[in-house]
Amino acid sequence: MSAEADSTAHVATRVYKPPMGAGWWTRKRHYFLYMVREFTALPMALWLLWFLIEIQRAGGGVKTYRPGASTAFVIFSVICLLFALYHSVTFLSLAGVIIRIKALDRPVPPRAIVVTMFGLWLVASIVIGAVLIGFGR
Amino acid sequence: MNEQTERAPKVALSHLFWWFMFAQGGGLAALVLPVHILVQGVLGPLGIVVAVDRHYDTWISILGNPIVKLYLLVLIALPFFHFAHRLRYLLVDLGVPAAKGVPAQVIFYGGAVAVTLFAVWVLLTTAPISLG
Repeated sequence: MSAEADSTAHVATRVYKPPMGAGWWTRKRHYFLYMVREFTALPMALWLLWFLIEIQRAGGGVKTYRPGASTAFVIFSVICLLFALYHSVTFLSLAGVIIRIKALDRPVPPRAIVVTMFGLWLVASIVIGAVLIGFGR
Repeated sequence: MNEQTERAPKVALSHLFWWFMFAQGGGLAALVLPVHILVQGVLGPLGIVVAVDRHYDTWISILGNPIVKLYLLVLIALPFFHFAHRLRYLLVDLGVPAAKGVPAQVIFYGGAVAVTLFAVWVLLTTAPISLG
């Protein structure tokens, strides 16, 4: 290989790395909300881990079982709930972009898919809420 | 036509699997997690409603039901595959290039697998399976 060809091959493998600081997401509201959406995973994961531990503690018998009841736990749950709701709204709103289905050989409009997903969320919440409360009596 | 173009296209099964788990986990968390947090994390502890996990006898008897065990396994395990992807890319977006690497993938997706295995163990050992 000639020196020129070697130089061209070297240039072709270079990757452009845009200079972007760690705080890029604080510059615009849209970027910030994107990062909040990504961050929602952390509080939801923490709450589910707590839930799993609570299930495990039930295995220790009635003496060791203490369901969360403190003010700190309620505050923690409220914070997790806000992030979970934000995850639900952003995730289900994207359903119209992600899901592509046909009905009667015609593509279903994205808006109809989003409305259906939000309707499904409402129905699932009512049913599961009724079960969680109904079996608690 | 040469040998290369005659080959059947390879299906990226690994990508298919992880994206499937990501999407299902995100969808499940979106549809059912808020009501669990609301009832079991806020309304129950505040005494506004009597949630199913408030009293030991009720909770342990519900936990013995195999359908409940399966539901709880899916509810707890599946979202972690979504969380793993989101949190890994959160680190990438925050300027941590190591989060793109294989060790990070092993930690995050391996973490989701570990939570799944832990959930299986907890659900199988906490309350004996009962159809009653």
